Amino acid sequence: MNYLKEMLSSRELLANLTLREIRGKYKRTIFGQLWSLANPLALMLIYTIVFAFILRVTPEPGDPSGLDVFAVWLLCGLLPWTFFANVVTAGAGSLVANAGLIQKVAFSRIVLPLSLVGSSVYNWLFEMGVLLIVLVIIGSFVWPWIPLVIVVMALLAVFGAGVALMLSIANVYFRDTQWFLSIILQMWMYLTPIIYPASLVTHQSNEIGYLFGTGLTLDFVYSLNPMTHFVEVFRNLLYDNRWPDPTEWLVCALWAAASLLIGVLVFRKNEKNLAEAL
Amino acid sequence: MSDIAVRVDHVSKSFRMYHERNQTLKAAIMRGRRSVHEDFWALDDVSFDVPTGSTFGLIGSNGSGKSTLLKCLANIYQPNKGRISHFGSMAAMLEVGSGFHSELSGRDNIYLNGSILGMSKKEVDRKYDEIVDFSGVEAFIDQPVKNYSSGMYVRLGFAVAINVDPDILVVDEVLAVGDADFQAKCMQKFVDFKAAGKTVILVTHDMGTVSKMCDNVAWLSHGNLIEVGAAEPTIKAYLDTVPGAAE
Repeated sequence: MNYLKEMLSSRELLANLTLREIRGKYKRTIFGQLWSLANPLALMLIYTIVFAFILRVTPEPGDPSGLDVFAVWLLCGLLPWTFFANVVTAGAGSLVANAGLIQKVAFSRIVLPLSLVGSSVYNWLFEMGVLLIVLVIIGSFVWPWIPLVIVVMALLAVFGAGVALMLSIANVYFRDTQWFLSIILQMWMYLTPIIYPASLVTHQSNEIGYLFGTGLTLDFVYSLNPMTHFVEVFRNLLYDNRWPDPTEWLVCALWAAASLLIGVLVFRKNEKNLAEAL
Repeated sequence: MSDIAVRVDHVSKSFRMYHERNQTLKAAIMRGRRSVHEDFWALDDVSFDVPTGSTFGLIGSNGSGKSTLLKCLANIYQPNKGRISHFGSMAAMLEVGSGFHSELSGRDNIYLNGSILGMSKKEVDRKYDEIVDFSGVEAFIDQPVKNYSSGMYVRLGFAVAINVDPDILVVDEVLAVGDADFQAKCMQKFVDFKAAGKTVILVTHDMGTVSKMCDNVAWLSHGNLIEVGAAEPTIKAYLDTVPGAAE
């Protein structure tokens, strides 16, 4: 409870640090905030060429929306993923990057990783706004789903924040974390149905049957990845325009809650020693 | 209000000196959980009280534990043993311009730095003019601080920090900033501070400053408290042990 009070009292600091990140990020660039779009657009271009034209990945048309545009289908999964990857990468380095500040001023340390979550959310909102415009232009009836999109965005942000809190502490003690992370995130992305539909995995899973004589299927193991559920929900809402399965909502909410809880506990246990450990 | 502003009660602080530190994952895995270290006691059972409304100096040679004690006071380090209690709000000034973002304007940085030091936006709003006035950088307040001269930079940082206006102010050797004019302004600020019944705890190597400003002094050597008491005799006792510092 005390901790909650302390966090509430530093919300102004959190807002200021978030603004620092946002304002400082694209300072002195000609394109400014547009840079936030550059990375996902470049990825979209590459993946569309490689996977839609060369490898011929064909996701099902949106049901009931009837959309059938690979690039947009891709973006509906890719933008949440790049957000998550940004939050985790930036959050993991946040304590080490602010070592000087931590050693000189006493303040609630948790605002450092959280401010990066905040600035990533800001960029992500901008990207999702552009995606919404594109969706409307190509004829997706997305308006009624926007409140739910915001809910799942909040859940993903909470999930990402929890992971970032854990990794920011890990990175203080083991600087390998940040290098490991870039590799893990690459693998993680391919283990998530972003550039291919999850139905392909289900198909394979049915062919293989039970793995190594255990009662587990490939599909089950695949579904342990929380990001598969988040991406699924995003696609259902944005691309298909339908209600996601309630169990998907539940899984996302549970992952978000568990991640935040563990993240805050880990952070709290270690934050007093940060000034020495850095 | 009690007559004691800060009570330092049997405070000890040790650091681990690692011979083999597991700072990489490889080292941790190869060696298991063992990391070889020995404890270095930077502060060993230090106790004293700081009276309210006084200016209190910490003196001692390099490596005597002054800065460690200051960081314990500022709540940046946690003592291993003992406790520090303070009566009234406390702010620490261990560095000026902490958290300044070089691409942001002086104005933005005042708000940013103010909130890092624990001020609310309203407080900064209220003290904004005073801060700008004190720093003497009005003409450049909308310029990014990276274009500031180093003197302007520290002056702005100092101006924000001094306006936090706590009951107890903890200061590391940051007084030696700016030109003579600015230093005189800083000194005046400390005098006002004291006149308002507030407590200052400061570390400095400049004995002139100490004897001019401090009422009481604690002398530390190798983490031990040698003497604590009125400024003049303690400073004299300290200087007597320093060869070549005849005064």
